[in-house]
Amino acid sequence: MSTGTAKTDILQGTLDLMVLRTLETLGPQHGFGLAKRIQQISAGALDLNQGTLYPALLRLEQRGWVRSSWGASESNRRAKFYELTRAGRRQIERESEDWERTVALMARFLRPAEPAE
Amino acid sequence: MIAFWKRLMAFFGGARLDNDLDEEIAAHLAMQEEEFRQRGMNAAEARAAARREFGGVTQTAEIYREKRGLPWVETAAKDVRYALRGLGRNRGFTAAAVLSLALGIGANTAIFSMYHALLLQRLPVKHPEQLVTLYRTGGWGRGYSSYPLYQEIRKRSDLFSAVFGRTSIDKTQFRTGNGDRPEKAQLEVVTSNYFSVLGVTSALGRLFTDDDDRTPKAHPFAVLSYDFWKRRFGGDTAVLGQTVTVDQDRLTVIGVAARGFRGVDVDHHPDLWEPASMEDVDFADANTNWLWILARRLPNVPVNKVQAAVDVLFEQHLTAIYGNHPNAAYRKTAMDQHIEVREGGVGLSGLRDNFETPLTILMAAVGLVLLASCANVANLLLARGAARQKEIAVRLSLGATRLRLMRQALIESLLLALAGSTIGILLAWWGERGVVRFLPASSGDPFDAAPNLTVLAFAIAIAILAAALFGLAPAWRSSAIDPAECIKSGGPSGASHHSAFRQVLVIAQVAFSVMLVALAGLFGHSLATLRSVDMGFRNQNLIAFSLEMPMSWKAPQTTAVREGFLARMQALPGVSLVSFGAPGPFLGGHSSSAIKVPGSELTAHEPGWVNMQQIAPQYFDILGAAPLLGREFTPSDTAAAPKVAIVNQAFVRTFLPGEAHPLNRVLTFDQTTLVPIVGVVHDIPHQGLREKIGPTVYVPIAQSPTFFGAVLLRAGASRESLAPAIRREVDKLGSDVSASDPKTIRQRIDESIFQDRLVATVGGFFGALALLLAAIGLYGVMAYSAARRAREIGIRIAMGARRGAVLWMVLRGSLVLVIAGLAIGVPVSLLAARRVAPVLFGIRADDALTFVSTACVLLAVGVAAAFLPARRAASLEPMRVLRQE
Repeated sequence: MSTGTAKTDILQGTLDLMVLRTLETLGPQHGFGLAKRIQQISAGALDLNQGTLYPALLRLEQRGWVRSSWGASESNRRAKFYELTRAGRRQIERESEDWERTVALMARFLRPAEPAE
Repeated sequence: MIAFWKRLMAFFGGARLDNDLDEEIAAHLAMQEEEFRQRGMNAAEARAAARREFGGVTQTAEIYREKRGLPWVETAAKDVRYALRGLGRNRGFTAAAVLSLALGIGANTAIFSMYHALLLQRLPVKHPEQLVTLYRTGGWGRGYSSYPLYQEIRKRSDLFSAVFGRTSIDKTQFRTGNGDRPEKAQLEVVTSNYFSVLGVTSALGRLFTDDDDRTPKAHPFAVLSYDFWKRRFGGDTAVLGQTVTVDQDRLTVIGVAARGFRGVDVDHHPDLWEPASMEDVDFADANTNWLWILARRLPNVPVNKVQAAVDVLFEQHLTAIYGNHPNAAYRKTAMDQHIEVREGGVGLSGLRDNFETPLTILMAAVGLVLLASCANVANLLLARGAARQKEIAVRLSLGATRLRLMRQALIESLLLALAGSTIGILLAWWGERGVVRFLPASSGDPFDAAPNLTVLAFAIAIAILAAALFGLAPAWRSSAIDPAECIKSGGPSGASHHSAFRQVLVIAQVAFSVMLVALAGLFGHSLATLRSVDMGFRNQNLIAFSLEMPMSWKAPQTTAVREGFLARMQALPGVSLVSFGAPGPFLGGHSSSAIKVPGSELTAHEPGWVNMQQIAPQYFDILGAAPLLGREFTPSDTAAAPKVAIVNQAFVRTFLPGEAHPLNRVLTFDQTTLVPIVGVVHDIPHQGLREKIGPTVYVPIAQSPTFFGAVLLRAGASRESLAPAIRREVDKLGSDVSASDPKTIRQRIDESIFQDRLVATVGGFFGALALLLAAIGLYGVMAYSAARRAREIGIRIAMGARRGAVLWMVLRGSLVLVIAGLAIGVPVSLLAARRVAPVLFGIRADDALTFVSTACVLLAVGVAAAFLPARRAASLEPMRVLRQE
């Protein structure tokens, strides 16, 4: 499945934040929509099996960051929709800050060298 | 926490959630397929591409499920199934392990359940921890106090927030309505603040208030217990306002006490309560002790402070009343009384006072039984672990972690323990009933047959503890092998390690059995000593029962009723002889009197105290104790005849030492009338076998009438066949006269030593159990080691070793283990025996006979257990053994 550019394996813990952020921008969305959107944004830079999304969604739901309900898709198909909870929003804030700190820190280490990607 | 809850829900809602997931994935794939088709793929291509994009569908579902549920529960379920299969394959092993655990756990549960009921369970009242009981001790009976003392204690608001009193719980005549058939009911007479101080509410109507104590005989009210209300009145609310007759008093039912409240006595539960103001006593008399005082202590005053203050108060109280009494002996006895302040939150229990020590001893003994059965099961597990080493080696080399193997082993132990505790709880119920059978009927039955949550929790806790005790070491051992080594050599490695550990276990088992057997031996020897006490009379098959008339009856009436009754007893078919004595033998009564004996140094200045018996003619004839000297009373010793007395040997030793013949001596009760001694009889322990028999004086009942006493019958017919006829005759005397159950003297003796019989019997049972377990353990170890040494033994025999020598070699191995166990067990038992010394009768705690026989019994068990393996080893055919290799 080589498409020319290098694909990154997904970093532990990043998928959760990606899903949460996507849900924040899209509003309630089903698994397929989420997967497509994430692939779109990463512009193919991410090697993501769509199926991986479901255990992640389950994890988020167990922690109370998203909730799910059955609804109808655009093509009028029964699908499970995921939605951000208030705890989920708070989690995004927390994790975004963490990420920014980490990125800033890493950037300081990496400044003299060429960017890795 | 939320995550755990959701996982737990998911664990139970598995099937429905699986469908959800399938549907969700299907929807995802369908949408992707549609998109691909719109991009121009055909159906089959789109389908394949969608699946590719998704990744492994089944894998996802699998990961998803694992995250969703509780994985450790699922693997545990697998382990449980695995363990069940393993246990099912080894039926013999499983049965042996479960049975020995059931016995250990059952014994513990049974004894604990009694221990809990009697010593731990608190009364269902408000703040039970504040309750104290004031227990009077001294020569004049125990427990109860007088009303004036109660009044004084009530004034002490610096110690108590409230004080109340109650009488004993007695069976009384009870009638509803207008003189229906009389029934029996348990009555407790209480001061009117009883319920309010205890904080007990009413289930119906009202309870007594302080106003119900104002005027004697002016508050004819009754409160029913909830159980009695349900049982006798079917829970009918119309009972309020009904009149019931209790003894002579006509009482109006004013209420029903809260459900679950059964009074403050643990052994006896009252059916109804009556205010103390209705009681027929002299409230002002400080000599009438009828009220058991309880109090609610102020939370900031500790019990020892209360005790100190009550000591002072009681001392002053006694001095005020008896300080100037002219009779010095009387004064001394009166002043030598004390009040013990005891914790009252667990309720009052006469049974507890007698039963606490044996029960505590039994609790320790069953703890040992449990340890012994754990050691036994550990031994069995190790033996099986050795047999399964190859299987474990294979599993280890296939990648099973040691942790997983240990967990499996522990789950197996836990299953054994649970099975054991299930059977054990059934055994406990049966065992508890067995123990209760030893209790005299009069002690009541505080032991609920209904299972109790605390007790159940205890049983489960000890089952888990047991599983950890016997399971952990074998689990550790059996997984500690080098798989490569084991599989290569084709046989167990480190086997010597294994058997060393098993030997340690067997030594521990022997040590436990030594303790239990020694304990049982001590109790058995003590009981035998007690039974061999010289009773001073032969006829222990006499039937005896107490007869009690109202205290208010005067002498002519009591004499007439008694003589009429005795004559009718004599006329009963099968009865050959009748007599009477007050208080009589083994009926719990006690009567004493101050006397002077002219010529005795002892009574020269102060009177001496003697036990009294007022007896009818032929008393000693019926007991089978012919007088040593002189005669016994005859019908001619009437009220009008000269007063006479008979004394026992102890009396002669104490008061009549020296030259003059006893029959030439006199004694006096009132210092004026001289009463000649006309006979001397054996010492007879009227109070019970443990009694230290004191000087006793017998006088003719005709000359000293009483309203109570013991009827004695010598009969050819059995007690069972006579009892109904006796009962009928008693009933003819009217409702004022009561009688106890007719029982033989032997039965009464048995009841009086129930503690000793109980600890000896139960101790003996546990001792035998521990011996059996030790024998099984010894046999297992010896059989195993003999089998392992088969080759060596074969060679020895081939080289010319005598078979006797081989036999001895194996036996010696077993004896070494037993001796090691004895070396540990005997010193520990000697220490433990000191704790039980107070309940032993007539033997020392380091009783040589007991300890020597314990050692012999265990050595014999050691030989017996090793005999089969030894004989098998000695009869080995060397050629066969060596060819097997």
